[in-house]
Amino acid sequence: MKNPKPPELARHRRERLWMMLQLLPVFSVLTILFGGALVLAVLQSLGFAPWFGVNTFPDFSYFGALWGSYSFWQSLALTLYYALMATFISLVMGVLLALAMVRMFPGKSLYKYLYKLPLMIPYTVGIALAVIMLGNGGMLSRLAAFAGLISDPSEFPQILKTHYGWGIIAVYVWKQAPFVTLTIYAVLLGVGRETEEAATILGASRWQTFFQVTLPQILPGIVSSTLIIFAFNIGAFEAPFILGGGYPDTLPVVAWRYFNDADYTLQLQGMATVVSIALIASGILFTYLALYRRYERRIGRN
Amino acid sequence: MTKVQLKGVRKDFGAFTAIENIDLEIASGELVALLGPSGCGKTTTLRMISGLEVPSFGSILFDDKDVSEVPVQDRNVGMVFQRYALFPHMSVEKNVAFGLKVRGTPRPEIEERLQEILDVVQLNEFRHRFPAQLSGGQMQRVAIARTLITKPSVLMMDEPLANLDTKLRGEMRRFIRALQKRLGITTIFVTHDQVEAMELADRVAVIFEGHLAQYDAPDALYQRPNSIKIADFMGATNIFNAKVDASGQAQTSFTTLKLGPDEIGQGSRNASVILRSEVIDLLLTAEEAPADNTFAGVVTAREFFGATVNYSVTCGEEKIIVTEQSRRLVEIGQQVWLNIQPDRIWLIPEAA
Ligand SMILES: Nc1ncnc2c1ncn2[C@@H]1O[C@H](COP(=O)(O)OP(=O)(O)OP(=O)(O)O)[C@@H](O)[C@H]1O
Ligand SMILES: [Mg+2]
Repeated sequence: MKNPKPPELARHRRERLWMMLQLLPVFSVLTILFGGALVLAVLQSLGFAPWFGVNTFPDFSYFGALWGSYSFWQSLALTLYYALMATFISLVMGVLLALAMVRMFPGKSLYKYLYKLPLMIPYTVGIALAVIMLGNGGMLSRLAAFAGLISDPSEFPQILKTHYGWGIIAVYVWKQAPFVTLTIYAVLLGVGRETEEAATILGASRWQTFFQVTLPQILPGIVSSTLIIFAFNIGAFEAPFILGGGYPDTLPVVAWRYFNDADYTLQLQGMATVVSIALIASGILFTYLALYRRYERRIGRN
Repeated sequence: MTKVQLKGVRKDFGAFTAIENIDLEIASGELVALLGPSGCGKTTTLRMISGLEVPSFGSILFDDKDVSEVPVQDRNVGMVFQRYALFPHMSVEKNVAFGLKVRGTPRPEIEERLQEILDVVQLNEFRHRFPAQLSGGQMQRVAIARTLITKPSVLMMDEPLANLDTKLRGEMRRFIRALQKRLGITTIFVTHDQVEAMELADRVAVIFEGHLAQYDAPDALYQRPNSIKIADFMGATNIFNAKVDASGQAQTSFTTLKLGPDEIGQGSRNASVILRSEVIDLLLTAEEAPADNTFAGVVTAREFFGATVNYSVTCGEEKIIVTEQSRRLVEIGQQVWLNIQPDRIWLIPEAA
């Protein structure tokens, strides 16, 4: 038997209308600025650019050329490697710091201010710091030479401008670990210590308590913070441009080179690169979210 | 199966002293209630016994062995938290089975014990629900089941029955008592309900502001409190100043009471007398009363509780509460005579 649907109250109808009205400004900004730009980018990457005197729409050759070249896949691998590595390290460090912060330790109140510092300093300053600290002839190499570990600063192992990307990852982590800490710390404060204590009394070891009790409860914070930093990392340009190892570049740098080329028809190739980045990033993030949703449903959260 | 001792235990939180020097011995298999007003340090005491909190001074012994160095996981204690502390991301059965799972108990045994305990706490039909989908009383039962399933050697419960309705509360009390007797688990039970403490416990430890005020069997605590504060907390209403003389007479503002034989020949002193409201007889005529310890008064108020009635009887300057089975109802304004047997009067010396 079907339950009769209660009639909608006029009051509720008015409220709904009012809510839609309130949402209108946000919607229009999103659609026009964001959606419009996306549509234009996709159109251009498919050969629609009459303002350059190019209109071969629909033309998949830009994507074909891009995806057909070996260097694209190299660039993609590099991009993903930097982004994933930095996200993972930031996540682990951020969670560890957040866990430490809900416990007592000497100097905690000072530390609570200190760790937020990188959040307020721009990326470019971080990059400059990396150059000063980690570069050849930088502080670290001089210190090492001074301590007698190496005979000359130039012998210091190359950290920046290699395809291992330690410099890039260091800058990302320096900036993003505090962000993860901030997010997870807030979540941990809400969760409280009692479930951990209950688990301990029930006989769980530290590891069991962390993985079976604490982690599932802070997972929403982990998912949202990693989502944000990964999305940033995969599209970030300055750090790999300045601290990267040159050809093959990461995808955003590749796109930038196309855009900056004297041959403006390469703009379309650049657009194809940008759209590729967007596709890949959203594919990964979507899969990630879908997996998380599945987990949430499994543990009965709606 | 485990004897628990607290020796000179003290707990400071910064400059604040939550527990001041408590000595407590809980015999193996005994059920002890920690009774005291809110904020007196009951939870803190439990947390120290469980190992979650480290005493600032003193030591805690299990079976005469100092457990300071024993980690919480290895103490094999159980604790039902005041705010349940259920795992919100686990279903009822996962919550309950957690303790066995982390100890590596084989799966068939977990299943068996899970089924058993869920039947006992009547949560079988809720086994796939999550804590957020349970009522307060159901959550409390999950918390109790989760602890009991691990068969702890010391069981601690922090107001485990606070959120249950009267009927379920009674059932859970009997259940806890029966289980505790059957398994012989040393149990420490926190409550601020003196009736619950007396019904359940072998001995009751009354804590006031971090001090152990009295540690005694329920009847002793009720009938022979060692201070006015405890008498008050245990629900005594008729407490009066008196001058006691060597012949065992207590002079109060409304009458002179003859005391029991124990009080004779102890010299004259000031003291408080406690007249338990239920041991006072209320008589309608002076003739039927015994000659000793009978004094006149007027009923000035009546409270009807169903099974019992409380009368306020004004005798001279004082008001005396008398509790009776409600077999009859005496009208307000009625002249009555009160009588109390000498050995039913409890005396608390002045200082206490
Ligand atoms: N971590 C802490 N830091 C500072 N003070 C604390 C801490 N834990 C407890 N206290 C204080 O210690 C005192 C005793 O607290 P406790 O939780 O043991 O009270 P309780 O007897 O369990 O009270 P209730 O019946 O309300 O649960 C309280 O005054 C409380 O404010
Ligand atoms: Mg408490």
